[in-house]
Amino acid sequence: MNTLMRRLLNLLLLVGALALGPGAAQAHPHVWITAASELIYAPDGSITGVRHAWTFDDMFSTYALQGLETKTKGVYSREELAPLAQTNVESLKEFGFFTFAKADGKKEKFQEPVDYFLEYKDAALTLHFTLPLKTPVKPKELALEVFDPTYFIDFSFVDKNPIRLVGAPAACQTKFQRPNDGTANAQKLGEQNFMSGDNSNYGAMFANKITVDCP
Amino acid sequence: MRLKPGVARALTLCVAAAAVMLVLDGVMHVLMAQTPFGGPRPSSAEPQVGGIVGWLLAKQSEFYREMSATIRAAKSDGSAVWTLLAISFAYGIFHAAGPGHGKAVISSYLVANQETARRGIVLSFASALMQSLVAVVIVGICAWLLNASAKTMCGAEKVIEIASYALIAAFGARLVWTKGGGFIRALQASQPVPALALAGHHDHTGHGHDHDRHGHSHSHAHVAHRDHEHRHDDHGHDHDHDHDHDHVHDEHCGHSHGPAPSELAGPGGWRRGFGAIFAVGVRPCSGAILVLVFALAQGMFWAGIAATFVMGLGTAITVAAIAVIAVSAKDLARRLSAGREGGGALVMRGVEFGAAGLVLLFGVGLLLGYIAAERVTCF
Repeated sequence: MNTLMRRLLNLLLLVGALALGPGAAQAHPHVWITAASELIYAPDGSITGVRHAWTFDDMFSTYALQGLETKTKGVYSREELAPLAQTNVESLKEFGFFTFAKADGKKEKFQEPVDYFLEYKDAALTLHFTLPLKTPVKPKELALEVFDPTYFIDFSFVDKNPIRLVGAPAACQTKFQRPNDGTANAQKLGEQNFMSGDNSNYGAMFANKITVDCP
Repeated sequence: MRLKPGVARALTLCVAAAAVMLVLDGVMHVLMAQTPFGGPRPSSAEPQVGGIVGWLLAKQSEFYREMSATIRAAKSDGSAVWTLLAISFAYGIFHAAGPGHGKAVISSYLVANQETARRGIVLSFASALMQSLVAVVIVGICAWLLNASAKTMCGAEKVIEIASYALIAAFGARLVWTKGGGFIRALQASQPVPALALAGHHDHTGHGHDHDRHGHSHSHAHVAHRDHEHRHDDHGHDHDHDHDHDHVHDEHCGHSHGPAPSELAGPGGWRRGFGAIFAVGVRPCSGAILVLVFALAQGMFWAGIAATFVMGLGTAITVAAIAVIAVSAKDLARRLSAGREGGGALVMRGVEFGAAGLVLLFGVGLLLGYIAAERVTCF
């Protein structure tokens, strides 16, 4: 009986793992964001924050504008979009603004966003906002990742100048690693992910990784 | 069997018990090879799954992203509507193959109950239809009639989502309660099997224990305090003195003596089936909502509605296929363990109990956010 029970239990665990594991993790994005970001430096060479410009896809832009009354149909001024921008940044807080920074391996926190606004151009909404670091840091290496752990949102950076350093010391060098949206990468990372049994951070395999080295 | 355990019968039981132990390996292999969720063999699943994930993701994203452009095109070119429907259909098929608790909950439910493949198909289609309807109703009322903002709509979606997860958890809890009783009864019925099995898998002379077997079974039944009165094929004679124990009052299990498959296929079974449809179908697909709002904004709401239902059709086909695989796997297991009393029933009750547990796990996991990948993100 012990063998039987153990097998039964194993089977159930297996089925459970199969069902809850990859099954649950195989989400696919519903929102696409094309990002361009800037790292802002203080005169003393320390990093004070990140400035994002996130352009939403056609479908989500339309969705977000649903119910928004404007003076001229199809034209959305920055003022008219202000309440929506407010909602955006407030809601994004729950998700840590999908921005994860590490200074020399230590996790850094951000303050409430400032200078945020929405811009409507070519049927697409772009959300601009600045995330100040809780405390400015001056690390040798800054690692910045932009992704949605649940992969509801797909982040990809613009081709040209995805990351700009604003006011950085001349010696600083940027390395940028795209998630290479191809299946090959998903496959490689997928294995690691499922081997370790960690699905909570599924979207991490689609992370955009930025590293800035300042010797 | 009642109160007159014949020697021949006892011998059969013991042979069967030993045989079950031997057959079990086979059953397990079959089940492992084809899990109720249609997943690949676990030994090879890990290296493969990444590839499958990647491919499904790529396909879904591809179809999904084509939708907005196609709806735009359909404004001026009517034939683009057909393209839209084709894309929606393909998206639905791929979408259901990838994420979503729907297919897992429906499959688990089918396995937990003695459901037929036919009903599995009907349930899959009904829940997909309901999902589509809910999406159309939400967008129809919130966006079209009330011109509500995206925030309001997303909030409504969230509330419905949480309600759906809670319903799944409640539904699962009830299944666990019902099936747990069946499993424990089966467990009690087969208590002496290990003694025999440990003495030697092939010890067919063990029939001498037969009378102990009943006594043993009895005492355990009392210790366990569960609704063991339903299990009458081995020791139905304890009916008269244990009705005071707590037991499940269910449309079938109240005081009937274990539902026969034919009973479950009756109207009550359908009623429970509707519970599954409702719990799963009440939560709309976020993709469908986005498509509908987009179509509405383009003045093509009807095309969005058509796309949503075709999407649901695609989803239903995949979910139905998975449900049929799940039911077939269970049927196979039942056939392989059929005729072997005690152990065979135990395996089947165990599988049902496990499947019921899965439904509960899904509900609770979704509710508490452990399965975070299925949450709607409002911003």
